Amino acid sequence: MRVSVVSPEQVLFEGDASSVVAPAYDGQVGILPRHAPFMALLGEGTLAIRTGDEESRFGVSGGFIQVVDNVVRVVAERAQPAAV
Amino acid sequence: MAKTRALKRRIRSVESTRKITRTMEMVATSKLKRAQDRVVAARPYAAALAAAISDLLTPELAERFALLRRPPSPAKGGPARAAVLLLTSNRGLAGAFNANLIGAARERIGALEGAGYEVDLYAVGKKGIKYFQFVKRRLALARLDIGDRPTALHAEDLAQQLMAEYEAGRLASVDVVYAHFKSPLSTPPMVMRVMPIETGGRTDGPADRGSKPSVRPRVRLSANYILKPGAGELVGALLPLYVTNAVYRALVETAASEHGARRTAMKNATDSAGDMLEILRRTFNRARQAQITQELAEIVGGAEAL
Repeated sequence: MRVSVVSPEQVLFEGDASSVVAPAYDGQVGILPRHAPFMALLGEGTLAIRTGDEESRFGVSGGFIQVVDNVVRVVAERAQPAAV
Repeated sequence: MAKTRALKRRIRSVESTRKITRTMEMVATSKLKRAQDRVVAARPYAAALAAAISDLLTPELAERFALLRRPPSPAKGGPARAAVLLLTSNRGLAGAFNANLIGAARERIGALEGAGYEVDLYAVGKKGIKYFQFVKRRLALARLDIGDRPTALHAEDLAQQLMAEYEAGRLASVDVVYAHFKSPLSTPPMVMRVMPIETGGRTDGPADRGSKPSVRPRVRLSANYILKPGAGELVGALLPLYVTNAVYRALVETAASEHGARRTAMKNATDSAGDMLEILRRTFNRARQAQITQELAEIVGGAEAL
């Protein structure tokens, strides 16, 4: 599935991924390919995107996550790559 | 002769001015590049946000939010104040850039006052602040610290103040006067209404590339969406982000436009310095030649006299 992570200032991630774990406002949400249409507000926490064997992590807060047609859009008010 | 010496001095002065304007042109060009990248980088977020709100928004839902409702006119007991947020640059030497923005702001203020509103002016950027202080207008806000690298935090700061006023029912509308970054060569001043959020058709004519994303309620294709929390809460949380983002876009576009305008102004200055030099050099050479000719004539005349 396609995943993109955008903040007001830039696009932080764009590409195919096998899973996404996002911090929704009421707890973690895991998204796998072919998820049903979904939309939730984001809380504050770590967003993890798994692509094959690699995992990218971002610190995000605010905004929302949207899943439509196997496209995941994480639109965060604030986002930055997490220090490993 | 005195004339050649004066000309020489002017040539030197124009030459050094040209050096300065050429350097400023190059600085503006490199800053423009980066500012332009920021404008482009801000687009996906704006588009995603507008699309998401449009997906969720239904006409019934739109009624519930103060940010979307048009307040009643002052005659009917609505707020009698309106806010104008003017974005200008901190630095000059950018041609008519700031003057155009100030002109657009004055026009909008005049229109609002004509409609019976009292206008609160929020000014960002030294040039706008200086002008309105000069005409002795009270400013609701004067910020110098944003400069030509605005961040989302700056936008949040500004938007939050305005939203608090608006949602408390003290403001009837909020307009942002900014420079629309059409291209580095075309940066017309624009007035954008950020509150109430305008839904439906766009206000600025035919769709051009990179025009603002707008929110409009549309047919619900989202009936089988899983929404957490409900659609109402989602819209409630996203509308402030939309306003903030509108302010952010205005800030980055103004910053990019400033550099574009400065580059154009400095290019023109460099070119006219070149033209001026050409004329000055020609005049100087003619004067020098005339002097030599005269000296020769004197020598020849002197030799003949012997």
